[in-house]
Amino acid sequence: MLFRSKNTDLTPEKVLEKLRTVQDPDLHRDIVSLGFVKNLKIEGDHVRFDVELTTPACPVKEQLKAQCEAVVKSLPEVKQVEVTMTAHVRSSAQQANRIALPSVRNVIAVASGKGGVGKSTVTINLSMALAAEGARVGLLDADIYGPSIPLMMGTLDAKPESREKRVIPIEKFGVKMMSMGYLIPPGEPVVWRGPMVHGALTQFLSQVEWGELDYLLIDMPPGTGDAQLTISQSAPLSGAVIVTTPQEVSLIDARKGLKMFQNVKVPILGIVENMSGFVCGHCQEVTSVFKKGGGEKLAQEGGVELLGAIPLDPEIADTSDSGTPIVAAQPQSSVSVRYQQIARKLAAHLSVLTLKTEGQFKPLSMEWQ
Amino acid sequence: MSLAPLELKQVGPKHLGIVWNDGHQSLFNVRNLRLKCRCAVCVDEWTREELLKDEMVPSDIQPKRIESVGRYALKVEWSDGHDSGFYTFEHLRALCECPLCKTR
Repeated sequence: MLFRSKNTDLTPEKVLEKLRTVQDPDLHRDIVSLGFVKNLKIEGDHVRFDVELTTPACPVKEQLKAQCEAVVKSLPEVKQVEVTMTAHVRSSAQQANRIALPSVRNVIAVASGKGGVGKSTVTINLSMALAAEGARVGLLDADIYGPSIPLMMGTLDAKPESREKRVIPIEKFGVKMMSMGYLIPPGEPVVWRGPMVHGALTQFLSQVEWGELDYLLIDMPPGTGDAQLTISQSAPLSGAVIVTTPQEVSLIDARKGLKMFQNVKVPILGIVENMSGFVCGHCQEVTSVFKKGGGEKLAQEGGVELLGAIPLDPEIADTSDSGTPIVAAQPQSSVSVRYQQIARKLAAHLSVLTLKTEGQFKPLSMEWQ
Repeated sequence: MSLAPLELKQVGPKHLGIVWNDGHQSLFNVRNLRLKCRCAVCVDEWTREELLKDEMVPSDIQPKRIESVGRYALKVEWSDGHDSGFYTFEHLRALCECPLCKTR
């Protein structure tokens, strides 16, 4: 709502005109025409307004805020400017009635093709980095045979409650989680054929009370089989992130993972290179344990972006094993900062993609009469 | 942006209309659509032999329900109980029976 103030020449129009000079660097449009400016209030020489971004994890949030303050302050009538940064995450695919996850705005699969590249570690830390920005985040462990989320999130003993045939996810570090590990006795193997895996994943998507989420990250198992197909078919995925280590033997499977998502028309949001060199704790020399440049190579081949690289660091393994992932245990560490940067890039990419493809895809259903 | 349908429309008892995101409009005879099913029950997975024969499909076959599968296909439940077939958007578009597509 725009309130016109009485005793001054300062009008909302004047303020908006100034704000029109502030561009969102990702969307290449000014913040007024994007509809980001909300609740503009003018009281005397005091101007207050909200800037509503498309993600709380916006990489240029602070820059935009400073710019907004500066341009409005440049009006001679203005003495004080108060900008509040808020966010409203848009849904990448308008959800149809019967499709799973109606209250989840964006579903993101984190996959690799190959096992052992640190997919779960990356997924967990990214989800926590997004939550730290103020987003509502869920984490689904789709690795039915080898669930690692309960251990890494320090929730090995958690048992989800159910209410009216809906399962309540476990919540820790600001993230809602569901994993096969919560449903079976610790240490017990899941010995199932494919259709059972399909059934379990379908239930995770349809019967877990996720509530309102901005992002649901799915920690995918390795491979391109039952689990991947079920996830791609049951939920309109907003996009996928591919995790790889730098060496060729990892890239060969990562390429297949990437291709699989492209085949089912899931946009690739970017590549994360994990175990990207080891930094010596004494002399800071970087040793490329698994060669160099694999993530960059995969990104170039696939025409997608490298979101970032995470080095090999014993702290990552220690914090994961002890149940407090590095983003929570050491938020100021260089690894955590990198995770934060990757999370912001990811969120920004998704926002751009959502706006660009608005109205181009819609889940459909119809009954024949 | 990849090809995707934006609207499904029943056109009389025998035809399905689809409006695509590139503006194209398709009209399908639903029985023809049923005959083009590429699922493992209708086409042998290894030999590609067509297992579904024309005479096996009732002349008055109709879809019961059509819905999206992820971001890449439509799934049709048919009045003869068949429900395992997915039609990828590309396949479906290639099957378009409109005069423009047919002469191509």
